[in-house]
Amino acid sequence: MKSNLNLQDADGFYEQLLDAHAGLSAAESELLNARLILLLANQVGNAQVLRECITAAKARETAPSGPK
Amino acid sequence: MTQTLPGATAYRAVAFTNGYEFAQGAGYPLPEYPFVEPPELKSGAVLRHPVVIVGGGISGLTLACSLARLGVAAVLLDEDNTVGVKGASSRGICYTQKSLEIFDKLGIYDRIAKKGVQWSVGRTFAGADEVYSFDLRQQGAFNLSTQPPFINIQQFYIEGFLVERILELGHVDLRWKSRVTAFEQNEDFATLTVDTPAGSYRIEADHVIDATGSHTSFHQWCGATMQSRRGDDRWCIADVRFSKRPPVERHTWVEAPFNENRAVWQHLMADDVWRIDYQMAPDADPDTVSREDVVRERLARQFGADADVEIVWVGSYAYRSQCLDSLRIGRVFFMGDTAKIVSPFGARGGNTGVADADNLAWKLAAVLRGRASPKLLDSYNDERLDAAQQNVRVTNRTARFLRPADGMERTFRAAAIGLARQHLFARSLINTGRMAVANTYTRSSICEGTGGQSVQNVAFRWPDNSPGAVNDLLRWAGSDLLVLVFGDVSPAAAQRLQQLAQHAPVRCVQVVGPDDRAQALEHVRDPQGHLQGACHVFGHAWALVRPDGYLGATGEAVDGDLVSAVECTLGLK
Repeated sequence: MKSNLNLQDADGFYEQLLDAHAGLSAAESELLNARLILLLANQVGNAQVLRECITAAKARETAPSGPK
Repeated sequence: MTQTLPGATAYRAVAFTNGYEFAQGAGYPLPEYPFVEPPELKSGAVLRHPVVIVGGGISGLTLACSLARLGVAAVLLDEDNTVGVKGASSRGICYTQKSLEIFDKLGIYDRIAKKGVQWSVGRTFAGADEVYSFDLRQQGAFNLSTQPPFINIQQFYIEGFLVERILELGHVDLRWKSRVTAFEQNEDFATLTVDTPAGSYRIEADHVIDATGSHTSFHQWCGATMQSRRGDDRWCIADVRFSKRPPVERHTWVEAPFNENRAVWQHLMADDVWRIDYQMAPDADPDTVSREDVVRERLARQFGADADVEIVWVGSYAYRSQCLDSLRIGRVFFMGDTAKIVSPFGARGGNTGVADADNLAWKLAAVLRGRASPKLLDSYNDERLDAAQQNVRVTNRTARFLRPADGMERTFRAAAIGLARQHLFARSLINTGRMAVANTYTRSSICEGTGGQSVQNVAFRWPDNSPGAVNDLLRWAGSDLLVLVFGDVSPAAAQRLQQLAQHAPVRCVQVVGPDDRAQALEHVRDPQGHLQGACHVFGHAWALVRPDGYLGATGEAVDGDLVSAVECTLGLK
C-alpha cells in the first residue's frame, strides 16, 4: 500500500468527491460510496494492497504512518 | 393435472438444518429394504468388526460401496429401511463432476446419467436483468473429463443405485432398521448398542464411521467440539411438474420481482421435476410459507396463473453452518453432514460427503491389508477438514450475499448489483453460490508440495488403440497407488519401477505419445496429452496417483524422490 502521495491532483480529487455527494441523502451517499469503493478496488486489484488499505482505514485512531 | 394436498401437516419446530424437513406434498415412492435378524441377535455373541458405518445416506453408502469394491468387509447400520427420508423430498439434487467420477469408479454412473439431467449453463438475474451467466462446458477445467460438469438427480436415486451395487459386490452387510442408541470407545475398540425390531444387541468395531447426518448423537458421545453459525434466513422449496418447460439451465435470481425482490432458484432434476426454491422474509413462519394456497400463489406469480402445476413436494428450511474442529476422535471418523454443515448454495453439502467417503475408503483398505501405516488414517482429518473449512468459508460468503445484514452489507450488495449491469468486473461479485469443486489439499501430511490436486477422469488409448480412462486404471489398481511415467523409460528406471512395484502397493504404467515406442509392458497412449494435463506435469515426468484420484506427488526422474513420495503417500514417513 502506498502511503506517499500518488494522486496526480489531490485537491482536485477531493473536491470532485465532495461535489459528487452534494445534495444527496445519507442513504444515497452511502450507496455512492459503496459503488465508488468497488470501482476503485477493481482498479487496485492487488489483494494484498486491498487488505492493507482496509486495515489502514480501520486503524484511524492510531498515529499516522510516514515521515514525522 | 393438479392433486390435492393433505391438510396442514404438523411442521416440526423451525429446523436449523440443511436437511429438508417434510412439510407437504405427495412425496416420492421409495424402495424398502428388508430387516434381516443379524447373527449377534441369534447367537448372543458380541462380534468385533473392522469397520462399522452408521448411517445409510449418500456419504455412508458411498463409503460402503467403495469398501465393497475394494473387497473390505464392513457393516452398515441404518435406522430406517429405505433411502431418502420417508415421505420427504429429494434433499440434494446437484452432483459435481468429481462425484460423478467417483460414482463411475463404483459402477453406477451409467444409471445416474440415464436417469438424471445434464446441465452446464447457469444464469443469474437481478430484477428483469441477467447480470451474470456461465457455461461450464466452455471452461477448460471441466471439458476433459469423461463425466459432464454436473448432473441433477434426486439424491435418493443415487442412494438406491448404491444399495443395489453394494448387494451385487458383497463384502458389506447392510443392516436396516438398526438404530445406534449408545456408544463407547477405549484404546482398543468401540462398542455400539443397536436397537432393532427383533431386539437390541451390542457390536464392537475397530473403526466407526459416523455418517448419520446433521442430527448425529456421536458428537455428544465423543465430546466433539465445533464452530457453528446460524442466521434468520428462511427458504421454501416447491418441487413441481408443470406444463411449461423452462430451459434446462440453472437460473438464480438475487432479487426476483415475483418474490418480493428476494432470491429464487430454479433447477430441473429427474422425472421432469423442477426445484423452485424461494427465499422467504427473515424469520418467516414455516407453516404459513409452505401452505398450499400460499405456495400456489407464489408459483403463479412466477409462471403465470395459467401454468398447470403439480406439486410433488413442498418444504421450508433454515440452514446453519457448522464445522467440527477434528474429523477423527479416537476410532470414530466423521463424514458428510456430521463433519460439516453448509448452506445448500453451490451444491457443497452432499458432494463433499461423497468425496469424504472416497478419501477414507482406500485408506481404510490399505491399512486393513497391512500395506500402509495406521497413521495414514489421520490424513483423512488433514485433508477433509481442510476441504470442509474451505466449503464452509465459501458457502458462508454466499449466504452473506443472499441475506446481507441490514445497513452497509445491504448497501454494498445494492452497489454490486447496480454496477454489474454496466461493468463486467462487478458480475464476479454477484454470489448466488460458487459451484462445488474437487477441493485441493493444501496441508496434508501425505501429499508433497507437488500433490494434493484431483486428477480428472480423462480419456486415453490402450495399446490396441481402444479408448480407456483414468478410472479404468484406478479400478485396476484397487487400493494400490498408481505411478504414471510419462515419456521414455531407461532400462535403469524400468528396473527401479519393477522393484518398487514388488516391494510396495504400487502399480506402474508408462504413458507414451501417439507414435512413441513403449519400453514397459504396462503402457497406455496419450495422443492429445490429456492424461499429462490432468496430472499437471509436462515432458518427462512421473505422477503418483492415489486410489481416490488425487495426486500424492509428481516429479521428473524415476529416483529416490519417487520412492520417498510413495512412502509419504502411505503414511510411512
